[in-house]
Amino acid sequence: MFKHICKLVWNRKRVNFLIILEIFISFLVMFSVIVLTVYYADNYRQPLGFDYQNVWYLQVEAIEKSGTAEKQDRPQQIEKFKRVMAAVREFGEVEAVAGAQYLPYMNGNWSSCNDVNGKPVCYWANAVTDDYRDVMRINIVRGRWFGKEDDGANYKPLIINRQLAKERFGNEDPIGKALNQLDKQDSLPEGKRARVEERVVGMVDDFRKNGEFAELKGYAIYRNSLREADDRLPRVLGVRVHPGVTAAFEEKLLKRLQNEASDWSFTIKPLTQMREEMHQQSIVPLTAFAVVAGFLMLMVGLGLIGVLWQSVTQRTKEIGLRRAKGATKQRIYRQILGELLVITTCGALIGTLVVVQFPLLDFLGFATPKVYAYAIVISLLLIYALTAVCGLYPSWLATKVHPAEALHYE
Amino acid sequence: MATPSAVIARPVNSQPQEQIMIQLEGVEKVYRTERIETVALTNINLAVRAGEFISIMGPSGSGKSTLLNVIGLLDVPSGGKVAINNRPITSYSDRNLALVRNEEIGFIFQTFHLINDLSVVDNVEIPLLYRKGISGAERRKMALQALDRVGLHARVHHFPNQLSGGQQQRVAIARAIVGNPRILLADEPTGNLDSQMGDEIMDVLKHLSEQEKTTVVMVTHDPRQADKTERIVRLFDGRQVN
Repeated sequence: MFKHICKLVWNRKRVNFLIILEIFISFLVMFSVIVLTVYYADNYRQPLGFDYQNVWYLQVEAIEKSGTAEKQDRPQQIEKFKRVMAAVREFGEVEAVAGAQYLPYMNGNWSSCNDVNGKPVCYWANAVTDDYRDVMRINIVRGRWFGKEDDGANYKPLIINRQLAKERFGNEDPIGKALNQLDKQDSLPEGKRARVEERVVGMVDDFRKNGEFAELKGYAIYRNSLREADDRLPRVLGVRVHPGVTAAFEEKLLKRLQNEASDWSFTIKPLTQMREEMHQQSIVPLTAFAVVAGFLMLMVGLGLIGVLWQSVTQRTKEIGLRRAKGATKQRIYRQILGELLVITTCGALIGTLVVVQFPLLDFLGFATPKVYAYAIVISLLLIYALTAVCGLYPSWLATKVHPAEALHYE
Repeated sequence: MATPSAVIARPVNSQPQEQIMIQLEGVEKVYRTERIETVALTNINLAVRAGEFISIMGPSGSGKSTLLNVIGLLDVPSGGKVAINNRPITSYSDRNLALVRNEEIGFIFQTFHLINDLSVVDNVEIPLLYRKGISGAERRKMALQALDRVGLHARVHHFPNQLSGGQQQRVAIARAIVGNPRILLADEPTGNLDSQMGDEIMDVLKHLSEQEKTTVVMVTHDPRQADKTERIVRLFDGRQVN
């Protein structure tokens, strides 16, 4: 029977072409939504590399100065920053406090690239004070966190994540190795050449600053010792408070900080709130896209029902004939549905052939082969489910064809 | 076009001539709608022997096709009894009726009812698709044999619209006999053909009846073709008349 159905579909290819085209386009749209959804879902289930609960983001805005004056003022600013940190630490509600260029879920990224064997290895970076590990509860899987042994060292210590280690060093142990290649900087302009070796002292599993939906990307954490003249002033403070500390503490904290640095301004937000805001940035476009795709699927579904309904009506005589020749209602039902599934297979097969080309064309390049494979399988299941659901009613209608009437149907 | 002598015989049924293949007792058919009730058949009593070739005649609207549909289990009578090959089928389920139609009955229609998107041989295979335990190769072999029996072995891969009316009806006959049914029901099989082609189709049907002992019930308007059958059943306003 399957061969018979395939033969019928093939011989009616001109009639079926539009349905196949419709299913093909639906498959592409469905795949696009699903590849994004799977991508986000896959990212979501990956470890974050930090703990955002009970952490407050405290933005520090120092009065901007420029040029020589800024350089001259920097030691004083650093001292003031240290006093601010000490003031925060004084509160019993605070468990740990650290300065950083970026906290997780902050917008903006500091990106850096290194040339490795002719290929650029790019990663996101951060510069943090030593307490950052306690604030974000970072787990070191190899090597160590920053410590006093790094004070006055002739290298710049840094912690990298496993992804960056893999991209930069392959399967080698990254600990003790230089992230930058001081001997291969001849091609770089003078200003861009690194002056000091950036030595990996520790490695974390993951660190996804942009949160659960963000891709896992190379990440490097530099040390900000708040001692060296060329250290930048941290832009934010991460404050880990004890569980149960309420928003009322914010006001008390702000008052204290304003007393300590009256010419600086401070903004406080729980990291959980920033996390929600960042999630919105990922979810809202996906939701909008999914809603549009959903409507498209609905239109396709209704279109399919209409086309199949018309097809059943046009084939009333044929159905009557088949009933006369011994087909049960069930066989008719299965045949109509079977034809639809064969047509769906044609559309989905062409769609699959097209989407497997995407990685070669670097379209939807963010998706890994695993995400692609899952998205293809899910899209196939959904397109079959959609067409099967659309085929149920017309197939049922076909079983209601009365053979005696059908054979005289005009 | 093949002549009856060219028709290849299949194994002859070994039933005694007296065996009743179709038995109708007091059959009635009434079509009811919300407003009106139309009596299509009234008190039809009919017995057709195995291998008998009968024709049903009557003016339009006399109930000929309805009677054929009732015999062919395509329609359920409103009253009375129908037995096929001594099996009362009145209480059969849809599945069992389909099984009897598939194994015992072959249909031939005035407008052939061939599926234009399938080749001749694929059209002939259709009844075998609904029969269990027949492989694709066996189906193909049986379909080719049936086409051979109606003299169309050279047209197996043609499509219906590439054939003449007579050839199309031969394909329909091949499709009707491919499963070796004991009963052949023909609804005006020559109605759409010219007289020469009609005669050829009648020869095929006669051959099936005489040589292969297939019971043939034919509805026709044409007295010339009806005269070639063994018995004529006449209907008028849904009643049997002599």
